[in-house]
Amino acid sequence: MAEESQETGRRDALPSYGDFRDGGAIGARPEGPVPAVRVRGLWKQFGEQAAVAGVDLDLPAGRFIGLVGPNGAGKTTTLSMVTGLLRPDDGQVQINGHDVWADPVAVKSRIGVLPEGLRLFERLSGRELLAYTGRLRGLPGAEVDKRAAQLLDVLDLTGSQHKLVVDYSTGMRKKIGLAAALLHNPEVLFLDEPFEGVDPVSAQVIRGVLERFTAGGGTVVFSSHVMELVESLCDWVAVMAAGRIVARGPLAEVRGDASTLQDAFLSLVGADRVGGQDLDWLGGDSR
Amino acid sequence: MSAPAAPAAAGPAPARMAAAPSVTGVFVRLKLSLLRNGLRVSRGRTVGWCIGVTFALLYALANGAGLIALRHNEHAPAASVTVAVVLGVGWAVVPLFFFGGDDTLDPTRLTMLPLRPRPLLTALMVSSLVGVGPLVTSLIVAGAVTSVAYGAAAAVVAVPAGVLVVAFCVALSRAVAAANTRLLTSRKGRDLALLSGLFVAVGAQLANLGAQSLSDSDGLDRADSAGHVLRWIPPATAVDAVRSTGRGAYGLAVLQLAMTAAAVALVLWWWHRSLVRLMVSPDASTIAAASESAAGGRARRGSRLRLRLRLPEGRTGTVMQRQFRYMWRDPRAKAALATGLAVGLLLPLIAVVQHGSVYQCLWAAGLLGVQMYNQFGTDGSAFWVVASATADRRDAELELRGRALSVAVVALPYVTVVTVGAAVLLGQVGSLAETLGLAYAFLGALLAVGCLASVRFPYAVPRDNPFANAAPGQSGLVVLNVIGGTLTGAALCLPVLGPVLALHLTGHHGLLWLALPAGAIYGAALAALAVRFTAPRLLDRLPEILATVRASS
Repeated sequence: MAEESQETGRRDALPSYGDFRDGGAIGARPEGPVPAVRVRGLWKQFGEQAAVAGVDLDLPAGRFIGLVGPNGAGKTTTLSMVTGLLRPDDGQVQINGHDVWADPVAVKSRIGVLPEGLRLFERLSGRELLAYTGRLRGLPGAEVDKRAAQLLDVLDLTGSQHKLVVDYSTGMRKKIGLAAALLHNPEVLFLDEPFEGVDPVSAQVIRGVLERFTAGGGTVVFSSHVMELVESLCDWVAVMAAGRIVARGPLAEVRGDASTLQDAFLSLVGADRVGGQDLDWLGGDSR
Repeated sequence: MSAPAAPAAAGPAPARMAAAPSVTGVFVRLKLSLLRNGLRVSRGRTVGWCIGVTFALLYALANGAGLIALRHNEHAPAASVTVAVVLGVGWAVVPLFFFGGDDTLDPTRLTMLPLRPRPLLTALMVSSLVGVGPLVTSLIVAGAVTSVAYGAAAAVVAVPAGVLVVAFCVALSRAVAAANTRLLTSRKGRDLALLSGLFVAVGAQLANLGAQSLSDSDGLDRADSAGHVLRWIPPATAVDAVRSTGRGAYGLAVLQLAMTAAAVALVLWWWHRSLVRLMVSPDASTIAAASESAAGGRARRGSRLRLRLRLPEGRTGTVMQRQFRYMWRDPRAKAALATGLAVGLLLPLIAVVQHGSVYQCLWAAGLLGVQMYNQFGTDGSAFWVVASATADRRDAELELRGRALSVAVVALPYVTVVTVGAAVLLGQVGSLAETLGLAYAFLGALLAVGCLASVRFPYAVPRDNPFANAAPGQSGLVVLNVIGGTLTGAALCLPVLGPVLALHLTGHHGLLWLALPAGAIYGAALAALAVRFTAPRLLDRLPEILATVRASS
C-alpha cells in the first residue's frame, strides 16, 4: 500500500526513541506494531506560557488508555492537537500511521472525539444530532438511523431522544456526545474528561460502552484527573504535568511500588500530600 | 431562605451576627465592587462604559433642564406626569431585557447565605439606589418636580415626592426581576431575552410614530387630556402632588403622596413575597421542560419528515436541514433572520408610503444576503463538529453550499415577492425587471462575499449577552467582516449596475429587461464560484476558525 511506504519513510524521519524519563521504555518500538497514536515533539504556546512543551508519546492500539494530570497540565490542549481541532506550534501526530495534518481524510474517519468545553449543536434533539452527525460523516441515512437507535437505547437516552440537547443534563450530554463520537465506528476514541460531572449511573453506562469498544479492538484514550477512575478502568496510563509527559506505560509499571496510582501520581508531579496544617481552627470548638 | 436558615442561625450565630457589619453596607460595597470589576475587564469596555455614562448623564441633564424650561408653560403638568409614568414603565421593563447584565438582580445567588428577608430587602433596595440608572432617574425626576413646583410649600413637598418616585421605580424594577427570576434564568427565558431586540426595534418604531403625532398642532392638547389620567397613576401621583400643593389643594396633595407611598409599599410587599418564595423553593424549570418535551417531540418528528422530502440528499441537505432548524429554534439565528425579514419589508414599505423608488427593494436582498456573513461564528464552539467531519475539499464545498443554499432558499422568494409587490404598489412595474435583476445580482454577490467573510474573517458571537454582537477584542473582525463584505458585495454588482445605468443614460429603455436574466445568472454564478474557491480555504483554516468562534463559550 502507498500508505505503508509513506509510513516507513516518515518513520525514518522521526526522532529516536531515547527520550523516556521515568515511565520506562514501554510502548511500540519502530519495528513493532504501528501504535494507535504517535506523537513527536508536540508543542503549543499560549502567549508566554507553553501549555504543551514537547510531548513525545506512543499509545498502543487496542488498549484502554488514561491520560492523567492535574488541572492545567495540558491534557485538553494535547488531545485537541492530536484530534486536529487545534493547530500545534510544532510537532507531529499520527493516528494508526496517518499524519493528522497531512492526511486528514484518513485520520478524521478513523477517530471519534468527545471534547470538553466545546458545545454540540444543542438546538437539535438527541436523535436529530445523531442523524446530523452521521450524515455529515457521509454514512448512508438508513445506516445512521439504525445505529443511532441502537446507541440511544444502549446509552439509556431513548426516553429523551426528542428533547433538545440544550435541555439535557451533564450526564446526558456526555452520553449523546459519546454516541455521536461512536456513530462512524472509529478505530481510536478520544474522550476529554468523559466522566466529569456525570452521575454514577450514567458513568457506569459510559464505562460499559467503552469496555465493549475496546473488547472489539478499538483504542480508547481518555483524560481525567480522577486517579481512582483511571486505575479501575485503564490498563495503560500516561501521566502529564506542566505540559510534559512525566511517566507512561502499563498501569502496574507506572504505579510501581506505590500502593495506589494516586500516591504514584502525587510523587511523580511532586505534590505534597500533607496539607492544611495551618487550619488548626477547622473542626475545633472555636466558632 | 428564611425558614431553612432559621435553625442554622439559631446556634452560635446571633453572637457573631451582632458583631458583623450591617448587611446593607456589605451589599452597597458589593454593588460598587461589581461596578468596578466590570470596568476592569478591558480598556475598551472601560472607555465604552464611560462614553455610555456620559451620554446617559447628558441626556438626563438635557431632559431635566428641558422640563425646568417648561415651567410656566401650560403643558408642563402633562409633560411632568408623562415623564414620571414613562420612567416607571421603563424601570419595570428593563430587568426583563437586561437581566443577565446585572448579577445583583438575581436573588437566587444569595440563597445559601443566612439572610432574613427583611434586612435583605432593605440591603437590596439601598444597593439598588447606587448606580448610574438611579442617578439618571433622579436628575430627570428633579426636573419634573421643579417644573410644577410653585411656592415654598410645593418646594418642600417636591423633595419627598422626588424621593418617592425614584424609590418606586427602583423597587418596581427589583420586584419585577424577582417575580420573573425563574423565567429569566431558565433557558426559555434567556431565549426570550434574545428575541427582545425585535420588540425593542418595534417599540422604537411605535415611539417614533407617537412622537410624530404629538408634533402635530393639536398633539399637545391630546397630551394634556392624557395627562389628566396619567396623574393618577403612581409614580406620577407624587409629581402631581407637588403641583396640587402649589395650587393650594393640600388635601389632594396629601392624598396623592399617600397613594404613591402606598404604591411603594405594595411593590415592596410583592418583592418581599417573591424573594421569600425564591429563597425557599427549589428551581423547577427543568421539570416543566421535561414534561413538555414529549409533546414537542411528536410535533418535531412530523416537521422533520416533511422537511426531508424536499431537501437534497447528502451533506448539502444535511447542512441545510440543520440550518433551517437553527433558524427556527436558535433565538439568535431567529432574531437575526426575523430582523432581516422585517426591516427588508419595512424599507420598501416606507418607499411605498413616501412614493419613493422601487430600487429601495434592494434593501431586502441586502439584509438577507448579510445573513451569510458569519456562518461559523453563529455555530459557536459547536463548529468543532463540522471541523471534525470536514476532511477534504469536497466536504468543505458541500458545507458552504448547504449554508449558502439555506440562505438563498429563504431570500430568493422573499426578495421576489417584496420587489414585485413594491413595484405594483408604486405603479413602477416597468422598472420591475431591472430591479429584480439587480436584486438577484446583489444577493448573489453578498452570498459570495459571505462565504469568503465567514471563512476569512469569522468572529465569535457572545452567548450570554443578547445585545453584544461580538466577543471582547473581536470588534475589528466584525468591522472587516460586515463593512468590508458589504462594500465588496456592492462593488461586485457593478457589472450589472453599470450596463443598467448605461442603458438608462443612452435611452435604450426597451433593453432594460435584459438585466433580469443577466442579474440572475451573474448572481448565481458568483455564489457558485465563491463556494467552489472558498472551500480549500475553509479546509485549511478549520482549527483557526474554531479557535476564533469558540471564544464566547
